Order: sequence, then structure tokens, then C-alpha cells
Amino acid sequence: MLELTDNAMLTELGRRLVSGSLSDAAIQRATEATPDIAILPWVNVIKIGGQSIMDRGRSAVGPVVDEIVANLHRHKMILGTGAGTRARHVYSLAIDLGLPIGVLTVLGTAVAWQNAQMLQYLLAKHGIAFLEPEGFASLPHYLMERGAVICQGMPPYKLWEANPEVGRIPPQRTDTGCFLIAEVLGARKMIYVKDEDGLFTADPKKDSSATHIRRISVQDLLALDLEDLIVERAVLDLMRSARNVKEIQFVNGLRSGQLTAALDGEPVGTIIFKAGNGDGA
Amino acid sequence: MSANRIGAQHLVSRLMRESLIDKTVIAGTETAVRAILPSLNVIQIGGLSIMDRGQSAVQPLLDEIVANQQDHVQVVGVGAGVRARHVLSIGLDLGLPTGALASLAAKSSAQNAYMVSCLLAHSGFVYLEAPFIVQLLPAVLAAARGAVFNGIPPYDLWEHPPAVGKIPPHGGDAGSYLVGEVFGARTVILVKDVDGLYTADPKTHPDARFIPEIRTAELVGLRLPTLPIEPVVLELLSRAKLARSVRIVNGLVRGNLTRALAGDPVGTVIHA
Repeated sequence: MLELTDNAMLTELGRRLVSGSLSDAAIQRATEATPDIAILPWVNVIKIGGQSIMDRGRSAVGPVVDEIVANLHRHKMILGTGAGTRARHVYSLAIDLGLPIGVLTVLGTAVAWQNAQMLQYLLAKHGIAFLEPEGFASLPHYLMERGAVICQGMPPYKLWEANPEVGRIPPQRTDTGCFLIAEVLGARKMIYVKDEDGLFTADPKKDSSATHIRRISVQDLLALDLEDLIVERAVLDLMRSARNVKEIQFVNGLRSGQLTAALDGEPVGTIIFKAGNGDGA
Repeated sequence: MSANRIGAQHLVSRLMRESLIDKTVIAGTETAVRAILPSLNVIQIGGLSIMDRGQSAVQPLLDEIVANQQDHVQVVGVGAGVRARHVLSIGLDLGLPTGALASLAAKSSAQNAYMVSCLLAHSGFVYLEAPFIVQLLPAVLAAARGAVFNGIPPYDLWEHPPAVGKIPPHGGDAGSYLVGEVFGARTVILVKDVDGLYTADPKTHPDARFIPEIRTAELVGLRLPTLPIEPVVLELLSRAKLARSVRIVNGLVRGNLTRALAGDPVGTVIHA
């Protein structure tokens, strides 16, 4: 191995990192014991659904916007948007044309971006700005000054999106992008605003015998192996290795007051939590 | 007013009213993908293994890339190296999360990629940041049959927390592989300072056997304590649709890259 550094300046872990292999399981385990700081521990990440809220237009978006405005001086919020029906259309078309996952991700990002722009036009008069991923270093400023910012929910993976195990739909979409924002910032809450009261044993839009689940661990939920879910499977996978986000909450944006209740810490909708403490298995 | 009017305003499409999380809907999308740039060769230059050695290792390899420019379309990804290890070590000590560590490490590989692009500038290679790979790569390749990019994918703050510890799992090998996969590249070649894979570390196990070719599942089954490539590449390979193999070659041996580009057996090939 090359001698490239003056080791005296480094911690013991640092010495192992510069001289060892990053794929060495022992080095990876050693990084478990390092501290975790929460970068923005008071921020709440809120995902506004694409198909479930934005595509419904004024009747659904208006009350959600009013509720966000009412909370501007009570809670700090990062508002991410979902994609929705235009993404489904462009995915169908692109799949038919034989285009790969990475290209579908670029296309889907544009739809989430459109929704973010529309949401921003509605909130602009309250001083709320839109930030691209490249502008995230300015987040603290906007949040301190104005209480909220808007971003598009897709992670910035672009052509680098990984294939799913099955099929050709990008597996990491806006649920995942917003979750990872909450995780990296050590956010206070991750709230998904959709058009259902939370998680059901089946899709309540299609199956009237479906029953509501108030609280469930991510491990139990995965064990149920449901055909459909309220959230992208990638979020559940990432929750198992997350170090900061311990639970995510789903509220019905069509019911006035649910978002506020969730922001105030009430157990409305459905909460999916990570059982155990720091167990990355 | 019909019930539909109150609901979401849909665009007609096959996925229109479906949950994109529904397993049956997802399985129904399993159809053929086309290769966008099938003549592309993705060459990943290792950070610690090649770049950090300086001119003696880097220059002969770049000479070989230039010598192959007439025959092969090459995009060169460059990995991070010891500077990324250093900033990881400081970042971990400060308590930063994986996403913050990933964005820091990606700057180190960007430096390496920029240096490589300067050394290849005389042959028309340019350094393309991720947004320009999305928009400009075909134009650049048509002009010069070559480009350089940051091997670390642009996951930044959105990097996955790994199952164990905090080291960002997607490095230069993963990013270069994903470029190969999305464009349907002809080859993905990972240039390192080892001949390829062995059944054990040849430095400590004289009876270690060289592995010229192996499948991903078999390699995972060998449970090797360390690999010369990022383990996440094996996961990505197992879900490959177009880039169904990667080849590891020793870039310190002249001619290896040329042989790999020609499709000759050199180094280790890992199949999906």
C-alpha cells in the first residue's frame, strides 16, 4: 500500500480508512461507532403527493396550501412534491420506446419539478422559494427566514438510477427522495400527504374489506409482503439502515387538519416505525 | 357531476390509475430495453489504485486510451482516492451523515476526473458534469470519441445509508457501471492495480487461485473478506438489463486496457 499521508494527524479510524479497503466489513463496522449529528433537527420534511394531491387540482391543493400557510410560523417545513399522472404517461411511453431506467428517472424528475413549480407559485406571496438539489446549502437560510422551502421530491440520481429487481419503473422516486432528505438532515418528522387515511391491508380504492393500520413496524410491514403499499418499497428498505429517521407518518391531505395534527406530534393517519434501536440488520 | 370529476385528473396511459408500487403492475413493465449508445466503452480509472500513484501509473494508461481513440468510443470515469478517505475520516469524526460524506467524497473524484480531462484535452476529451452527461454526451462523443466524467454518481445528499456503518456505498465503480448500464455500453472496464480476483489474498495465501471469469451469485457465495471493487456493483449487476458484465484489469500492466477493449481475455470478468 502507498504511503500517502502523515498519519499523526488522523484518528485511529482515519488511519484504517486511508490505508485499508472501504469494502472491508471490519472497517465498515468500525464506522458504526462514530457519532451522528442532526444537521437540521427542527425541520419537518413533508411530501405532497403527485397523483393523490397535485393532480386533483384546486379542490385538493388549495386546502393543503392553506394548512401549510397556517403552519409557517409554527413549524419549519421542507415541502417536496410527487410526480403523478403525467409521470405515469411518460413512463408508459418511454417503456414502450425501450428506454432504460435512468432515462425514465430523468423524465419523471421533470414531472415532480412541474408540480414543485406550481406549488411554489401558490406559496410565492408568502416568501417561499424553490430550491434545486444544487441549492440545498441555502436551506438553513430560507428555513430560518421564511419557515419553508419547496423542492421537487425525486432524488437527483438522473441517469444513475439503479434498476429494480423486477420491471422497468424507477424504484426510487419521490417518496424515497423526500425520505433521504429527512435522513441526511436528521429531520424532526417525515410526513407523507396522500389521499388516504394511511396504510390499509389492501388498496381501499379497490378492495372494500381493507382495514386501516394505525402503527406498524417496518419489519412487520415487510413481513406481510403486501401486493401493494402506500409507500415506495425503497423507503422501507432504507428505513432499516437509516440512522436518523426512526418513523414516517402518512396523513390524508383531503381531510383538513390532519397535516397540522401530524406536525404537532399527534398519531393521525399511519405511522411506520423502525423496531429496535440502531439495529441496521 | 360524476364522481370522476372530483377525483384526480388523469392522462390516459397504461399506468394511469395503477399504483406504481403494486407488484403486478411493476411486473407488467418487464419488457425489452434498447441500448442508447451500444458502441460506448466505459473505462473506470481507480482513485487509490491508479490516480494516487501519479504520473508513473496514470500517463501510460492515458497514452493507451489515446492510442485506442480511433478504434473505440471511450468515456472515462475516475474514482476518488486517498483524499476522499481523508475527508471521510474527518467527516465521520465530526458526526456527519452518509449523504454529507458522499457529497464531500464526490468532490475528490471530481478533482481526479478534471485532472484526467486536462491530460486528455489535446485529444478532444472534455470533463462532463452529471447534467452534461445527460444532455451532451452524444455530441461530445461525435466530436472527439471520448469524454471524462466523475466516477462517483451524483447521489450527493441523497446517498443511501448503508446497512452497516456510514461509508457511502456508491463510489466510482458503481457510478461508472451505471453509466454503462443506462447507455447499454459495449464494455465496462474497471482499471485497478491488481490483476483481478483471486480465491484469497495472494499476498498472504500463496495457494490462492486466479479467477478469470465468475458469475455474480458465485462470487457472493465465495464470501471474500475484501474485493477490489465496490460490493454494491455486484448487486447492480444482478439486476442488469444491458451491461451484463464488468471486467477488472490491472492498469499498471501496459496493453491490458487495449486487450480488454479488443475483447481479449485479460483480468477478471464478472457476469451478471
